[in-house]
Amino acid sequence: MKAFEINGDTVSLALFIDVTNSKELLDSMQAGTLEPEVAFLNASLIPDVFPVLAAAHKTLVSKSRESLTTRTLHSELVYNYSGSKHITESLKRCGISESTTYILAARFNVTLDEVKAVEKLIHGKEIDLEELKDRANQAQIQKQYKITAPELGISSLADAIVCRIAARDAL
Amino acid sequence: MEIKTDVKESSLILLKQGAEARVFESNFVGKRSVIKERFSKKYRHPTLDSKITLKRLNAEARCMTKARRLGVSTPVLYSVDPVLHTLTFEYVDGPSVKDILLEFGSLGIIEERLDDIAFQIGDAIGKLHDGGLIHGDLTTSNMLLKSGTNQLVLIDFGLSSTSTLPEDKAVDLYVLERALLSIHSSCGNVMEWILAAYRKSSKQWSSTLNKLAQVRQRGRKRTMVG
Repeated sequence: MKAFEINGDTVSLALFIDVTNSKELLDSMQAGTLEPEVAFLNASLIPDVFPVLAAAHKTLVSKSRESLTTRTLHSELVYNYSGSKHITESLKRCGISESTTYILAARFNVTLDEVKAVEKLIHGKEIDLEELKDRANQAQIQKQYKITAPELGISSLADAIVCRIAARDAL
Repeated sequence: MEIKTDVKESSLILLKQGAEARVFESNFVGKRSVIKERFSKKYRHPTLDSKITLKRLNAEARCMTKARRLGVSTPVLYSVDPVLHTLTFEYVDGPSVKDILLEFGSLGIIEERLDDIAFQIGDAIGKLHDGGLIHGDLTTSNMLLKSGTNQLVLIDFGLSSTSTLPEDKAVDLYVLERALLSIHSSCGNVMEWILAAYRKSSKQWSSTLNKLAQVRQRGRKRTMVG
């Protein structure tokens, strides 16, 4: 896992391909028995780490004000990443499904033991975060975030997502 | 009180202070950023004050991101904080159009560069107006040219609104025209170049420019007689 600092807290990310046990992960997550608690994101929708960090920043701010919209800190990250206000849809689209094989795992303020536990939890091959860019599904991203051609003329895909994450509650 | 700490933690450098907001340079998860803080006005009733501040904060965030959707470059919005009344966005490195035009005034005009700038301005305003977005404060200091690419970036959407009326679009252009006349008269008629580009970029140029002619006669404010 790679750690990123956000105002004194950290968020650690790890990218996996060929994940075989997403059904199990989904079940234990929904049952609330996932140990340690981790956020699983549909990595096809992530062209860069920066939008994830922006969503993580937003999550930590809500946490510090005790104003989370969803039940846990980690589900809040998935919800925030979606740039939408519809919680169920957000978790469905930006989270994982039974058949997802390409996953970004994220955990706040992770300890060394937890890193090992997370890596054991996910049955797949961990790859470098640099690969996000080439593996992202641009068509799917454009549809999810309603990004049009004129916008892409002046903006990267990642920046367009960041704007939507930031502006969601202002709309 | 934990609210205060997350601003303090990253070092803040005051860049500018205006009547409505303070602008700081900071760092947002590893990227150089700008924080715009709308402060409260003590002369207003506290409840009204916080309502107005929040409304304008959200409007600015909406308009900035809408401009991007229309294909007009503005700083990337990183975060909106409705509690601290702050917007955090990308730090755009580069001079303002105002600085460049003033430099042309003192050192001589680089014709090619001026053409490019005027074209980009007209093109950007045309896109905004066709999308129903009025910038509200088009001055040369609210336009930056990104270092390296010379891409025009519009900033300060604090007075922006949405409207499709030719009247509002014409006043938007008129404000720019007056600003150009008052400080950049040595650059020749830049406005003419801008309007030429606007005509190419906006499909509704004709009604807007007709209106502009009327606005020129009477000024920015509408006569309320009769």
